[in-house]
Amino acid sequence: MDLLNAVLQGLLLGGLYALFATGLSIMFGVMRIVNLAHGDLAVVASFLALALVTNTFLPLWAVVLVAIPIFSVLGYALQRTLIQRSLGAGPLATLLVTFGLSIVLQNVLLESFSADTRTLEAGSFATSAIELNDTISLSYIGLFGLVAAVVTIVAIQLFVSRTRTGRMMRAASDDPETASVVGASPAHIYGIATAIAFATVALAGLIFSMRSSFDPSIGPSRLLFAFEAVVIGGLGSLWGTLLGGLALGLTQSVVSHYDPASAVLAGHLVFLAVLAFRPQGLIPARAV
Amino acid sequence: MADNDLPSGDLDRRRFLHLAGLGAAAIGGSSILSACGGLKGSGSSSSDVLKIGLVSPQTGPLASFASSDSFIVKNIQDALRNGFSAGGKKRKIEIVVKDTQSNSTRATEVTKQLISDEKVDLVVASGTPDTTNPVADQCEASGVPNVTTIAPWEAWFHGRGGTSGEGFTYTTLFFLGMEQFADCFFPMWEQVGATSKDVAALWPDDTDANAFREGLGEMMRQEGYNPVDGGKYQDGSTDFSAQIAKFKKSQAELFTCTPIPPDFQAYWKQAAQQNFRPKLATVAKVMLFPAEAEALGQLSNNIATDVWWSPSHPYESSIDGTTATQLADAFAAETGNQWTQALGSVYSLFEIAVEALKKADDPKDKDDVAEKLRTMNYSGISGPLDFTDGPEPGVAIQHPVGGQWRPGKKFDWDVVIVENSPNPDVPLGGDVEPTFA
Repeated sequence: MDLLNAVLQGLLLGGLYALFATGLSIMFGVMRIVNLAHGDLAVVASFLALALVTNTFLPLWAVVLVAIPIFSVLGYALQRTLIQRSLGAGPLATLLVTFGLSIVLQNVLLESFSADTRTLEAGSFATSAIELNDTISLSYIGLFGLVAAVVTIVAIQLFVSRTRTGRMMRAASDDPETASVVGASPAHIYGIATAIAFATVALAGLIFSMRSSFDPSIGPSRLLFAFEAVVIGGLGSLWGTLLGGLALGLTQSVVSHYDPASAVLAGHLVFLAVLAFRPQGLIPARAV
Repeated sequence: MADNDLPSGDLDRRRFLHLAGLGAAAIGGSSILSACGGLKGSGSSSSDVLKIGLVSPQTGPLASFASSDSFIVKNIQDALRNGFSAGGKKRKIEIVVKDTQSNSTRATEVTKQLISDEKVDLVVASGTPDTTNPVADQCEASGVPNVTTIAPWEAWFHGRGGTSGEGFTYTTLFFLGMEQFADCFFPMWEQVGATSKDVAALWPDDTDANAFREGLGEMMRQEGYNPVDGGKYQDGSTDFSAQIAKFKKSQAELFTCTPIPPDFQAYWKQAAQQNFRPKLATVAKVMLFPAEAEALGQLSNNIATDVWWSPSHPYESSIDGTTATQLADAFAAETGNQWTQALGSVYSLFEIAVEALKKADDPKDKDDVAEKLRTMNYSGISGPLDFTDGPEPGVAIQHPVGGQWRPGKKFDWDVVIVENSPNPDVPLGGDVEPTFA
């Protein structure tokens, strides 16, 4: 029964990892960018939501609905102004731009919000659970994270396979020059991809912040798990990212059940094993 | 952010260079940073000016410990505006502040800058062993008098390889140790009337928690308590189901922990989800700052912690007689923020520094000042501190009392002192109440 609990909790955690990793996966899949500011962007989203909660009378669920589109627009703007410029200069330039962005964001947040620990107060949503029996209770927020991950990934897959913009996204990802010859504007398409990525990172960041807490410097530590989920699943594959997140959460939780000291290490070892023996990841497909 | 050389302006240029240096260091550049310290312009080299360097984590994960620094520096500078007499001369004081960015390597670097470039007469530092230890090591090596605080004395003394009975020559510390945690927590456990002697313990695998596992764990067993160790998990964990399952199984009614703050927030919410509700939670290292209590919201109610300084401590400044309450009020009025325990501690660093400089025959003689630090016995805003009577030479012990977070009047959450047997000077504000009834 305890082991079953560990497995279920691992899946809930894995869902959140997967949701958080989705944005990283999209940006890599479409633009071949490793966004080192990914974790910090999630923190920015949390502070944005916090500012909205404190300064408006909107309830938290409404703030979530408002913050996500705001963040999408921000993503589009950031791609067109900052990231697009660095794309032409090679992979190292984008890496440096996102790395610089990470540092700038952390310090801007520190200056404007101080180093205090914050949370998004979600009341009973964050602290109650469905109690199946004495040992197993599934928290609402964990379930929400898992469902959100699956729904988001299915929706994005449908978007890229069924819509015209989605198909252009795949074309621009394959070969931007040829795509632009036949009428697609890679910069605009990349902007849309970034907007989608930012929406998912905002959602994941907000769930993280309701579940735990956040402060300006917490971003990079969260980036690591997202990065591992993407690599375990297979770079650029969204289904892979979902699977990678679940695998990582499950490994950490089950190992923690036997030996808490090795939980995080076990996750890293899975990551290492995938890199060593199956570098293409669990599902070596293309995201888009 | 940035290294604030408080007496001078010119922040923009330095901030820019600082950021540039940071970027360079982070991608492996490194030594550009040391050049930034050389950009100081102001400051007199006259022997009438005594320079004190303050090293603290103003940015990064430990920044909460330094949130009151600039207020205190300003407060001390105002109080000593007219100077004081030391070594037969009228002296002015200058305070140079350096930021460790919560990084111990950087702490060493800025301390070096203070010593070699700024030629400070004394260095004070505060905020976890990551700050105090590298700063103290550097001061000891360079022969500069130094006093630090907010690091358990064991971590500071043994962590730096101190020889028991001998201690260090230039470096001193005031704070508390494992025994003081026991003195503070055990009476609260008695009072709450738990039916079981099992104590659920969330101790990660880091220096602080391992010290608790060995030190406090042993003291608990001696007093008949049985620690239920949740296991050496890694800091930064996001899921605590395994620990919670273990605690629930043990049916422990008491809970203690030494995690990093974000982990505690995640743990405490998850414990609520999974229905582990201990009768009393006495936590260390977390819930020190009001922001943490605010972040937890209703779940903060009646979480108990150790309180080494609060506005209700009946002590006053050795510099100008300001009481603890007045200092906390002035801080709230000036910054709009609620007091933190670091306020009293950092203030005392400067009290002790000034005291030692005043007592020395020649405040420019570093050996003389260091000797005065080691033999210091004075009373200030942190109460009486005796550096000759600690567990090791050069260590002064504070005796924290037990406090519980409750809804406050002026601010959302405030600490109410509920157990004062370790230090009966501090008036009680209420009784010990169960965290979860």
